[in-house]
Amino acid sequence: MGAVFIPSEFGLVFVPLANVQVKAGDKLRITCRYTHRGKAESVPLYAAIGNSGWAGFDEVLNASKTINVPEDAVWQTREDYVDITITTAISAGLYDLYSKIGGSIPKVSSPTLHDVVEVLVTGNSEFGEITINSYAKV
Amino acid sequence: MATYAQITGIVAPSQAYPGSRMDMTVKVKNLYASVISLMVGGALEYGVSPWPGITYPQSGADVAGGSTYTFNGYFYMPDKSVTIHAYSYWYGGDGYWHFDDEMTKVVNLAEVVASQFGSIEIVSYERRL
Repeated sequence: MGAVFIPSEFGLVFVPLANVQVKAGDKLRITCRYTHRGKAESVPLYAAIGNSGWAGFDEVLNASKTINVPEDAVWQTREDYVDITITTAISAGLYDLYSKIGGSIPKVSSPTLHDVVEVLVTGNSEFGEITINSYAKV
Repeated sequence: MATYAQITGIVAPSQAYPGSRMDMTVKVKNLYASVISLMVGGALEYGVSPWPGITYPQSGADVAGGSTYTFNGYFYMPDKSVTIHAYSYWYGGDGYWHFDDEMTKVVNLAEVVASQFGSIEIVSYERRL
């Protein structure tokens, strides 16, 4: 179970985040809220699943799409989403999540959500045991 | 030179973004010795004909002699710089409103800054089949 700290009038509050279970073939829809002002711009909205560590965020799967942000004379809050396709390139386990706007040099990056994506792996067909339940003349 | 309804000032920002609501005030002084009714009007000059008006929730008031009344108004900034053109009127004993004074003030169009992103956060994540 992951957690994120958010500020409040009571100080820091511990908010546990539920994780979502996915497997190969699924898509993970990540909805982001961002603030913008200034001229209209088309920019990539990017999200990644991976592992956050001391050396940064080690991405395993990612996706992006171009969003067309209209002109905003003053700061405006907007929302959009990006879908990451879950492939067999990712192994079973718990993963972190983050998003950003921009390319290799992001304009803005989100806080990382830790251990919020649980990848389940469906293995090859296997049989465990077999027993005779009944026998009759036919 | 005003007779009775002297406009002493227009208060409005010097610049505004297109589409934004512009709140403004027009101050009108009663030059007459006793109370009379004053009224304010106004329009926007920016190349559009007829001139679009200015909205005053209350455009008239009874004002004591020598006093100044502040009329509140607003308009929505077009995509060009505008000149606010305010007018004043006084109500005569003949039962008519008499045009009296006028004043103008320019509101320039504020330039929209380059695109900036302030923050981003993930608000939800869900499995989609």
